[in-house]
Amino acid sequence: MRRLHPFTLLAVAAALPAAAWIAPPRTGGMATVAAALVLIVLLDGRQVFTVARAAAFTAAPLWLFLFVLHGTTGLVETGLRLTTVVASSFWLVAVLPPPRLVEAMIARGWPVSAAFLFSATLSAVPALRVRAGHLVDAQRARGLRTRGGPLIRLRALRALAVPLVLSALHEVDERTLALETRGLGPGIKRTPLAPPPDSAMQRAVRWGILVACVAALAWRIA
Amino acid sequence: MIAALRVAGVWFAYGGRPALEDVGFTLTAGERVALLGRNGAGKSTLMRLVTGLLPPARGSIHVGDEDTRVAGPARLARRVGSMFQHADQQLFARTVREDVAFGPRAIGVPSAETAARVERALQELGLDAVADHHPYDLPAPQRKLAALAGALALEPALLVLDEPTAGLDRRAKRLVGNALSGCAERGAALLAITHDLGFAAEALTRALVLERGRLALDAPLARVLTDEARLRGFGLVPPPLARLSVAMALPGTPVRAQEVAAGLAKRCRA
Amino acid sequence: MSVLALDRVTFRYPASTVRALVNCSLEVDAGEIVAVIGATGAGASTLLLVAADLAPRVVGGELTGQVRCDGRAALLLPTPWTQVSGMASTVWDEVAFGPANLGWPRERIATSVERALKRVDSGALRDRDPATLSGGELQCVILAGVLAMDPAVLLLDEPTAELDPVGAERVWQVLRDLAHEGAGVVVATSDLDALPGCADRVVWLSQGRVHRCGLAAELLASPDLWEPDAPGSTAVAGVWHRAALPAPAPLTVRDVVARCR
Repeated sequence: MRRLHPFTLLAVAAALPAAAWIAPPRTGGMATVAAALVLIVLLDGRQVFTVARAAAFTAAPLWLFLFVLHGTTGLVETGLRLTTVVASSFWLVAVLPPPRLVEAMIARGWPVSAAFLFSATLSAVPALRVRAGHLVDAQRARGLRTRGGPLIRLRALRALAVPLVLSALHEVDERTLALETRGLGPGIKRTPLAPPPDSAMQRAVRWGILVACVAALAWRIA
Repeated sequence: MIAALRVAGVWFAYGGRPALEDVGFTLTAGERVALLGRNGAGKSTLMRLVTGLLPPARGSIHVGDEDTRVAGPARLARRVGSMFQHADQQLFARTVREDVAFGPRAIGVPSAETAARVERALQELGLDAVADHHPYDLPAPQRKLAALAGALALEPALLVLDEPTAGLDRRAKRLVGNALSGCAERGAALLAITHDLGFAAEALTRALVLERGRLALDAPLARVLTDEARLRGFGLVPPPLARLSVAMALPGTPVRAQEVAAGLAKRCRA
Repeated sequence: MSVLALDRVTFRYPASTVRALVNCSLEVDAGEIVAVIGATGAGASTLLLVAADLAPRVVGGELTGQVRCDGRAALLLPTPWTQVSGMASTVWDEVAFGPANLGWPRERIATSVERALKRVDSGALRDRDPATLSGGELQCVILAGVLAMDPAVLLLDEPTAELDPVGAERVWQVLRDLAHEGAGVVVATSDLDALPGCADRVVWLSQGRVHRCGLAAELLASPDLWEPDAPGSTAVAGVWHRAALPAPAPLTVRDVVARCR
């Protein structure tokens, strides 16, 4: 799966949520969630559990939220669609390392700043996770209680979220400077260092997916 | 008298990777100790164990009469004040004053006493003028001082610091040095991880050197700093004044600026 | 002929009433190392941003005065992790990031990367994942990445702040070698003990202005550096001053030994 061209992976990850919305509500939603789960199961052994768990933990609060907002009307339909989005997003992040995606974008001639934006968003996550870990340590050592009732956890959240967001913002500023000075910017066409291999068949498949989605949408609307 | 910190036969590993092997030492009240060693030697790990963030795999760590395996970091905060690396990034309150007050409030110090402690800490670190500013309106070095003020306001029996002078200019380093002296004089034990051996020479008196997870040396700091060959063996570089002291064969081989200056004055006027 | 020249530069950050730089003039020649010293907030980082053409172009703000650079000026920041591109899975790719952005042909990139890795003595790390490196190793890799772009001027903001002493020594040695090869180097630093034998000239910034400027050997010996809010000088000069011994103060241990024989 990893050897596929990044755009193919991107197309598949985008097609599932699109299909979930286009297809008839319940059956379509169930089919796409099932398809997403199949993709996750096809990942490298170690990743399957982590990705599945992360997707489940992200989707569960969404279901709760929907229930609180709308009650049971339309809960299953919307829930399944959202679960498809979540599952296929997590799958994409697991199967596609950002550098590969950026190389593909650049090789195709996409503007460098767009490619960088994509990559920076995805690759900020591990750095933020490490930073969050350090932050939790520092605040706990100051006496912050992280276990207990909801009020305690809410206070803890503030002590963690505020510095994390502020320092992440500051880091983005610094990062922009560092990357600018290393030549990332409009105007010059970047030399691709290791463009991912593509094939006629993959291109055909991508176009096929796009055409199928458009056709299905047209059919639904009609 | 109960020791401020007692580390006994401590082992720790991250997954399969050993980080600390059979480390043991004791700190008494008022002692000022430098924790030295090259990167990866285990210093930060030891700090996390002492603050109760991690439990030792083997052995025990006692801060006063609290066992770190039993008391969590929140409870240990009553005894241990800490400042980790990148402390400038941990501030979250709306004003510096509020952030410094966070620690004492969290450990249950009554408000009048908290206010008094916060004032003292702010004064010691020259932050009274900016006490009501938003922390992120201040440059990183000042935020670091604010983080230290937060640790001091806990009035801990043990103060543990990771690179307390990194990124600070001469004036700020002096403030930190004075604050740490004040703390030690009031009876706290100090344990500071530092690469700044010049600062260590001024502020600290005992050296614990970690090498590949083991305690390779426990000796008076002045003696360690003037033994260049040994220091280099540990991946450390002797500070200029220690080298000067040795090169000029000053009596007593002092390492602190005041004593080196005095020795030099005598030598060079003669 | 200077490779970098700032002429009466005044700069204000956006949404700020305070001027970060006031009337600063500076010239740097090829093969010269200029150190910028000053207390926190004196303007050293801002000076480098202006010289690197990042202020006001990327940062915003208002600039008056002239900035001229004879070629590319590259900036190295103190924190290695912020400068990692995030688009490279190996050190080699990380170093190649800059040259690739410049659109160079592959062969030129390859030669440049090899040479840069050798200059910072990090060839052994070429296949490692940058995320697994220590601070010192990573900073040298980022430096290699900047060097691989063949800058005419190298600007460094506290390059050794996050490094251990051994890592720091290595960086200073690399800078000395670079200057020998003809690059102009401007380094803002609070590690004053590293400057003798490395910096040719020193610029002392105070509250955004150039307070003093001169040859390193002379300026670092000045007793004014020991005023309360001044940045100080080398530790050796400090004790000489403290001992009230006759000026000019020696800067290194070797100087003292030679002086007192």
